[in-house]
Amino acid sequence: MSKAGARDLIQGTLDMLVLKTLARGALHGYAIAIAIGQRSAEELRVEEGALYPALHRLEVAGLLAGEWKLSGTNRRAKFYRLTAAGRKYLAAETSNWNRLVAAVARVMETP
Amino acid sequence: MKWLLKLLRRRHLESDLAEELAYHREMRAADPDAPPFGNVTRIRESMREQWTFRWIETAFRDAAFALRGFRKSPGFAIAAIGSLALGIGVVIAIYTAADDLLFRPLPYREPDRLVMLWESNRTVAGSEHNSVSPGNLLDWKSRNRVFDGIAAFYQAPTILQDGDRAEQFHAEMVSANFFPLLGVQAFRGRLFTEAEDLASAQSDSLVLISYRLWQTWFAGDARIVGHRVMINSLPRTIIGVMPPNFYFRDRAVDLWAPLGLDPARPYRLVSGRYMLAVARLNRALTFARAQSEMNGLAAVIERENSAFNKNWTVTLEPLRDSLVRSVRTSLLLLLAAVGLLLAAACANVANLLLARYSARRSEMALRLALGAGRGRLTRQLLTESLMLAALGAAGGILLGHYALIGLVALAPEAITHSAYIAIDWRIVLFAVGLSAVTGSFIGLAPSLIVSKPDIALDLKRTSAWGGIRAWLIAGEIAASVILLTGASLFFRSVVKLQHVHSGLNPAHVLTFRFSTPAARYKVADRVPFFERLIERVERLPGVRSASAVSYLPFDGMAAGTDVKIGGRPPADPGKELGAVIRTVMPRYFETLGIPVRRGRDFAPADNLPNSPIRFIVNEAFVHKYLPGEDPLGHTISADMDDSNPFGAIVGVVGDVKEGSLDKEPEPTVYYVHGHLSYPSLVFVVRTDNDSRGIIAPIRRIVHDLDSALPIAEVRTMEAVLGETYARERFSTVLLGGFSASALLLAAIGIYGVLAYSVAKRTREIGIRVAVGADAGCIVRMVLAGASRFVLTGLGIGMVGAFAFSRFVSSLLFETGPHDPLTFALTPAILIAVALAAAYIPARRASRLDPLRALRVE
Repeated sequence: MSKAGARDLIQGTLDMLVLKTLARGALHGYAIAIAIGQRSAEELRVEEGALYPALHRLEVAGLLAGEWKLSGTNRRAKFYRLTAAGRKYLAAETSNWNRLVAAVARVMETP
Repeated sequence: MKWLLKLLRRRHLESDLAEELAYHREMRAADPDAPPFGNVTRIRESMREQWTFRWIETAFRDAAFALRGFRKSPGFAIAAIGSLALGIGVVIAIYTAADDLLFRPLPYREPDRLVMLWESNRTVAGSEHNSVSPGNLLDWKSRNRVFDGIAAFYQAPTILQDGDRAEQFHAEMVSANFFPLLGVQAFRGRLFTEAEDLASAQSDSLVLISYRLWQTWFAGDARIVGHRVMINSLPRTIIGVMPPNFYFRDRAVDLWAPLGLDPARPYRLVSGRYMLAVARLNRALTFARAQSEMNGLAAVIERENSAFNKNWTVTLEPLRDSLVRSVRTSLLLLLAAVGLLLAAACANVANLLLARYSARRSEMALRLALGAGRGRLTRQLLTESLMLAALGAAGGILLGHYALIGLVALAPEAITHSAYIAIDWRIVLFAVGLSAVTGSFIGLAPSLIVSKPDIALDLKRTSAWGGIRAWLIAGEIAASVILLTGASLFFRSVVKLQHVHSGLNPAHVLTFRFSTPAARYKVADRVPFFERLIERVERLPGVRSASAVSYLPFDGMAAGTDVKIGGRPPADPGKELGAVIRTVMPRYFETLGIPVRRGRDFAPADNLPNSPIRFIVNEAFVHKYLPGEDPLGHTISADMDDSNPFGAIVGVVGDVKEGSLDKEPEPTVYYVHGHLSYPSLVFVVRTDNDSRGIIAPIRRIVHDLDSALPIAEVRTMEAVLGETYARERFSTVLLGGFSASALLLAAIGIYGVLAYSVAKRTREIGIRVAVGADAGCIVRMVLAGASRFVLTGLGIGMVGAFAFSRFVSSLLFETGPHDPLTFALTPAILIAVALAAAYIPARRASRLDPLRALRVE
């Protein structure tokens, strides 16, 4: 059902990717899914069934703020943007992630 | 509080989500590369899971859903809720009664160490719990080595007067160590001291009152301590108020006064046995040891006072036992019966739920396919059973409340006089907990079966359950047969008892007690005073006659003593002629409708103090002591006073079945009041119509004669007689209620099992109908399935009833324990009920449309 090679995301990672995607500015749900797909060169695919619960979870946690606005096609859509708490959380998660990746890489590169 | 706001904004959130998803779908539709959209319902479900208030939300929804389900199948809901309400209601009622009588600790310090002391006569059967002589009590007190203390008390009717108010209350004379022995303090003021107790033998001056009397009679007056009142026309000072709810053996007591036991007084020479004694057992001793030590002491005292104490010994009885002596076994039996009834109720509900879920299996499968989580489904089934349990508990509490009111109203006074029976929060908590456990248990069992995906396993399991359930129902039927047999036996007894002639005519007779305080009325004044009262009452319009008696028949105790017959040698020791002694005013027999068989009634002239003493006896006396002789020629003497001259028998009257209707009449000797007077008499008044209309005029007459004296214990003679039936009536109603409940539960159980099997066999029945079976054939088939466990249960029940009824034979009256009518009717009733219960599912099966039946599943 999903494209060949596309990876399903582990929970937690999705939260981080959503926050990162929104770091450059507010987007609606569909745009977030598209953006993640494009930036990973279609390696990562976001399921709606995971995305919307994640967005609402982050909103309830106060890391995102949702707002209804008109989209480019002049339709009402819910745009999400990072809150100050979200930015702080993203910074912490980013450094955690980098440490994790580096550590995994060292293990994997050991001959 | 945040979740509450969100709950209110819920509709808003829901539409937001719908719009957001719709937008997503549109965008994707415009994009040719996008994969197909996922399961919207599942997204929605998992979104909702995120909302923090979802558990309340879903709980409400499940509850509403369950209620809708109950409304759609009211038969199921009523049967299940009714079963639970019945089970829980009966449990509440019986456990509340039993809790107070059997289990709740008595409100005294270390109540397990408290024992009652009784005197017992070795030669008289049934005298184990006789009251105590003050002389013997003083000896026990000073010479025993087993008790930390012995307190004495006895009741006396007492008139309390404060200003111009006067009313009769129950008072208890108690020794000074009575309250300290129980470990009870005064609520206000103080208790009296040993010195004050002893001094009261010369001059009564102190009194303690109950909290109830303080609140109702004195309106909670803050200056009550030190207040002076008149008691039996003597001035007394209130020195204290006892704590709320304090009682000892009798909750009716409102006044406590010093008893004034004087160790110097030769009680054994001047008075009989009239006191009660309570003692605190030394902690180092066992009950059996104390009893044997006291037996030794009693033997010594018997030798020292052989005239008074010949054949008398002492019996110890734990306080709790003395309160529930006769009802303990039957209450324990009841508790077991109640437990069985509740188990039957739970079995029923489980049966009904299983039948219902098997019918709903396809609905469940559909909902699973549409994206409902398995956990959600289980929770919803659980909610449904918990709702049933909650509604059952509510119904049960209500039912229990009214059942208890009925129980207490019907119970013989002997059971309830010492108890304070009311539902308290612990019992309600117990019931709610019980139903919650029941609810989750019966809810989980079927939901595990229904939400199991493996249908083969599921089928195997339910068929195993089916066997167990058929046996359960057979057990229910057996239990209801036994209870039904018992109820029928008691019912036949009561009907027979109602037809026994009591020996008097209770219709239109009013009775009341009237007492004259010794302080103002000398013995010589009493007779003329009572005569004046009767004369005034007889002049009231509608009154036929009036009289008075020392001890009203059918109202507990009466005096009894030995009688000698003139011209015969004294009887050998142990073979004395015993007789009941009653003192009456003239026209007593006429007023109560007791026929004069020979001779005449007492005349007013017999009542004069200087007239020769004369007696009237009953037929049983003649039959037993003067057989074949003319009683009117004989003289007799009864040991009632210091000197007992012989007097002539002037009349013979009909027997009155005193004490209880199912006992033979006892030989009775009647004195006229002028020769054996009492300060307090029970008056009897026969009227033309309803006797209660003359209560107010009688009060006015009494007030006129002496405004300080009240009348008390106003009752109709019919009510007095009614108390006599109370025990039998109580047993009948109790067993009747039980058997009706058990029968109803068994009927619901039969219905549940058959409804389930019909639902399970829908396809099979459809095929049978399709190949030509007619409705009657299908009904017969279903009924045949029922008859197997109904007949098994009936057989077991009949055998059980035959064995069990022997144990109640002593409680029956002129009804054999194997009464043929009972044993013929019981199975007939049971089979009729079982047929009715089986008919509904059978009819449903016979009306199945074969086409639809075959399409099931």
